[in-house]
Amino acid sequence: MAHPTLPSDDELIPRLLANDETSYAQIVTAYHGLMVHLARAIVGDAIADEVAQEAWVAVLRALPKFERRSSLKTWILRIVSNTAKSRLRHESRTVSLDESLEESPIIDPARLKPNAHWASPPAMWHADTPDALLASTELRRCISDALATLPPLQRAAVTLRDMQGLSMEAICKILEVSESNGRVLLHRARSRIQMAIEEHEGQ
Amino acid sequence: MPSCKDITEHSSDYLDRNLPWWKRMGYWLHLAMCVHCRRYVDQLKLTIDTIGKSPEATTPNVSQEEIQAIVEKMKQSTKNKDG
Ligand SMILES: [Zn+2]
Repeated sequence: MAHPTLPSDDELIPRLLANDETSYAQIVTAYHGLMVHLARAIVGDAIADEVAQEAWVAVLRALPKFERRSSLKTWILRIVSNTAKSRLRHESRTVSLDESLEESPIIDPARLKPNAHWASPPAMWHADTPDALLASTELRRCISDALATLPPLQRAAVTLRDMQGLSMEAICKILEVSESNGRVLLHRARSRIQMAIEEHEGQ
Repeated sequence: MPSCKDITEHSSDYLDRNLPWWKRMGYWLHLAMCVHCRRYVDQLKLTIDTIGKSPEATTPNVSQEEIQAIVEKMKQSTKNKDG
């Protein structure tokens, strides 16, 4: 789970606590890109770098109290997530972080018959591989737009799971959501992207 | 047996192998009979793979200068604490 170029948490943590500059550089090299990726998902591109930098200072401040209930990587990403969330609240754009957990249906109810079977089933797509889909500039744009308009926690879930390949267990710890809520966030995010592709491909 | 709506709501759990065996069984039976849901689940799988290959999936690049600047900031922050 840890980064291939990093020493184990057991070796690394005492060195970080001793303010070892080489270890600082090692861990920043290993995780900063990932941290910016997560911060972008929650607060957007404009202030993601700032949030990730802020998180490093918070990491050092909290490290003496780190209880090792997760890996160092998961714990650091949780700090990024919390820094980003509080930043979002401060900006108070009245974005509901939990919008995703409201009971909006996965499929437009108009597409289903009263017996909950398909009335308007999915159409065949023109392309049938990721590369073929992504070859279309227009579809890439649709996917980008759909990703950009996801609620923050949904975007974070899909970034960590489908782009970074983290485990669901780690993701739920990072985002501080229950296992079932984490799965709902992820499925809603994927479904919205699927609908965006369908609008383009299923014509 | 699950409805088509049930299938759409739990398709990530199905693909991620996170359904209990008895639900998985019902799911599998439905898919064997329903061409629409088969297509739906295939398209979700394709969506997931496409997300993973999209330009947005690339981990942001971090330059050597940025790393150095952050390390400086970290050193500074621990000094402030001690002093
Ligand atoms: Zn069906």
